[in-house]
Amino acid sequence: MDELKQVFLQESNEQLDALETLLLELENRPDDETTLNGIFRAAHTIKGAAGMVECAAVESFAHVVENVLDRLRNHEIAVTTKLAALMLGCTDHLRVLVANEAGVAQVTIEWIEGQSARLLTELGEYGPGGQVFATPKASESGVERIPSNRSGHNCWHISVRFGPDVLRQGMDPENFLRFLETLGNIQHMETLADVMPPAAEMDPELCYLGFEISLESSVDKQAIEDIFAFVRDECRLSILPPNSKVADYIELIESLPEDSLRLGEILVRVGALTADELAEGLRSQAVPAGAEPPETLQIGEILVAQQVVQPELVAAAVAKQAQVSEKKAQDAKLIRVPADKLDHLINLVGELVIAGAATSLLAHTRRDGELIESSSLLTRLVEEIRDASLQLRTVQIGETFNRFHRLVRDACKDLGKEVELVIGGGETELDKSIVEKIGDPLMHLVRNSLDHGIESPAVREAAGKDPRGTLTLNACHDAGNIVIEVADDGAGLNRDKILAKAIERGLVEPEAHLSDREVFDLIFAPGLSTADQVTNLSGRGVGMDVVRRNLQALRGTITVDSSAGHGTRLTLRLPLTLAIIDGFLVVSGNRSYVIPLDAVVECIERPASEHNRNYFNLRGQVLPSVCLRESFGLPGERPARESVVVVQYAGQRAGIVVDRLAGELQAVIKPLGAIFRHIQGIGGSTILGSGEVALILDISALIKISGQAEQRLIARPELRNA
Amino acid sequence: MSALSASPANTAVAGAKAPVVVESSPAQYLTFLLGGEMFAVGILNIKEIIEYGAVTEIPMVPPFIRGVINLRGAVVPVIDLASRFGGKRSEISRRTCIVIIELTENDERQDIGVVVDAVSEVLEIPVSEIEPPPSFGARIRADFIKGMGKVNGKFVILLEVDKVLSVDEISSLSRIATEGVDTVTGGTPAA
Repeated sequence: MDELKQVFLQESNEQLDALETLLLELENRPDDETTLNGIFRAAHTIKGAAGMVECAAVESFAHVVENVLDRLRNHEIAVTTKLAALMLGCTDHLRVLVANEAGVAQVTIEWIEGQSARLLTELGEYGPGGQVFATPKASESGVERIPSNRSGHNCWHISVRFGPDVLRQGMDPENFLRFLETLGNIQHMETLADVMPPAAEMDPELCYLGFEISLESSVDKQAIEDIFAFVRDECRLSILPPNSKVADYIELIESLPEDSLRLGEILVRVGALTADELAEGLRSQAVPAGAEPPETLQIGEILVAQQVVQPELVAAAVAKQAQVSEKKAQDAKLIRVPADKLDHLINLVGELVIAGAATSLLAHTRRDGELIESSSLLTRLVEEIRDASLQLRTVQIGETFNRFHRLVRDACKDLGKEVELVIGGGETELDKSIVEKIGDPLMHLVRNSLDHGIESPAVREAAGKDPRGTLTLNACHDAGNIVIEVADDGAGLNRDKILAKAIERGLVEPEAHLSDREVFDLIFAPGLSTADQVTNLSGRGVGMDVVRRNLQALRGTITVDSSAGHGTRLTLRLPLTLAIIDGFLVVSGNRSYVIPLDAVVECIERPASEHNRNYFNLRGQVLPSVCLRESFGLPGERPARESVVVVQYAGQRAGIVVDRLAGELQAVIKPLGAIFRHIQGIGGSTILGSGEVALILDISALIKISGQAEQRLIARPELRNA
Repeated sequence: MSALSASPANTAVAGAKAPVVVESSPAQYLTFLLGGEMFAVGILNIKEIIEYGAVTEIPMVPPFIRGVINLRGAVVPVIDLASRFGGKRSEISRRTCIVIIELTENDERQDIGVVVDAVSEVLEIPVSEIEPPPSFGARIRADFIKGMGKVNGKFVILLEVDKVLSVDEISSLSRIATEGVDTVTGGTPAA
């Protein structure tokens, strides 16, 4: 049962996501039938699944939602903005209910109940409730023909022929009919007296009556059948669900879990057929089977012939059966794996890479041709295994992006702004653990853009811009990194305001001269907010520094570009994976360092004539460079010939001067631990084939701190000789 | 139990019997030499003792961080205790060892290696033989000292490992060392 519930929780969350997306779509295209049907189906699936695992709270709430959706679908009520908002609220509430069922809700029961009550009242305005009770109770007038005032397509069709002995057993057919009324409205009833013999032969103790009844009711088939439970053996009863219900059943059939069920079981499961009816159908199937084997009827055909189900339902159930067996075949291709097993695998692959490197090093030192050959084959395979196992953990970022549709929509409503969310590069893949951790920072950035970035329509129009703002989320790969951009076409950052605030808070000296980029970087300082008002969304000044910290924890960076009046662009750079990278090994002062291979553009020999400068002429262009020996204060003399690794990072090129190059390698990233969390210029470490620990360079930070060190030397020359 | 702890402190015997005596309070200590002085740490924190070698230096960190070593596939930082206590770095000799100590700070487990001049032995020091730390005079920070153990009439400094190897403190110290660079804080030059 617990496992079943687990599946339910997971599936209902998926369905709720779908529901939300569809509702947002519906807002834009209120007349789209497909969307409407999709919404209905999602709500219905949730209800059905909740019923199956006996989550009464979810089921009953979903039921009310479904009723309103049903009316929408039948064009009894129209899609309005208010209704859509209410529906979204209901989706949220369902999510809470589901979470509560899982025991992970972060709210109290009282809150949930209060929320339920509030939403139910609001839903009541749209619900069928009032109208149903408003229709006249027509059945009281008698047992003769009652004209139907409705099209009848919402009615159950009950056909009952009471057995002759019913009265003798002390049961009055009229009582059953009255009881039936408690379930709903009898819209139409026809009394069949065609088996009534001439008056002379009539036995007053026998019952000759049959009824054809149209019942409008929301109960299920079993409940109706239960009414006739006492006379079940004495009468012929067939209950046909209402036409609208048929669609429900078909949907329910489609949404059944992928078990292999028999046809009859499927129908019973969704409530289109009761167990008794099925048993009877099977009995009659067995009889002809003995007599005339070739003409054995399918159970479906029998059931239709017995008028207990509609042919459409049988067709749907048959289709479902086919789908199940098809799905079975697909299931074999898709396996759900616990994340920690994958992590373990990645760790093992990491060890394998290191051990493989040790073996190939050994082979080369032994100069054993055959061993070198076999170890290079091994290395190739290990590389493939590494790539394949890292692939297992990657997911597309699109799903994360799509979640923002809702956020943007809600925020726009709250703020009275019009914003279009444009998503690009959703198919970009990155490590799942990074995706999980990037959600919150992204949310902060999007909220900031909506709240502070994009102006209200009036302001935009006054500035000659499209009143509808654009927020762009984009992702792409660049030099071994994932680049995510959050850009808006809003007002841009106000340089003077940020600077003024920063000075006010004592973050910068009043007389400091800062570049635009340095000023914009101040928005990441804790406690700095340029919003004049603290709103629901942002403005408390706690967001951006948290964003930056979270990104740094992922070895990522964030930069801001902004132009006044044209918008702001935040660029996030994240490593592709947290586990293994391709690296380029260099040696300086007898120490090995690894440069991420994706950053390496080319390697050149350091021209002897430019020995004392930290820039080179690279085919006519100036290439600023960092001398690793100087930056890291490594001991020993500079060798006569040095090499320069040209690296590229964030569109910038720089050279890194090293003693010698030692070739490519696969570097399994080993974190340096909490002690070194503030260290700059080093991204991590790795273990070489020799067992030696080599440091992985963080190119961007290295270039940055070298630049800053130079600035300091220029500002305070007395340090030069220190 | 009392018979055992009351037995004459024949150190070699006590060391050999060490695994038998399991008490809730860590009464057993590993003693080692550092700059001619005898120190001790509770053995429950100690994972292993390895020979000194193949330490990879980390640039731009305080001198008491010697670097990192490869401990069977895990990268473990190595601290020079003598330097951490404010003295010079230990000279590496044939007897220099790295003692791997397991720490738990902020719910995170972290292994840290410390460089010592020579490891001596495992001693059992009963609680009654431990004096409170002197307020000054030990030439190391008072909060680094857990107590002074009396062994054969001599004092051994029992170290408060959590303080000596505080990850928070060490990382902030290394931050100061790196962030002579930071424009906002300014000031401290990174030599």
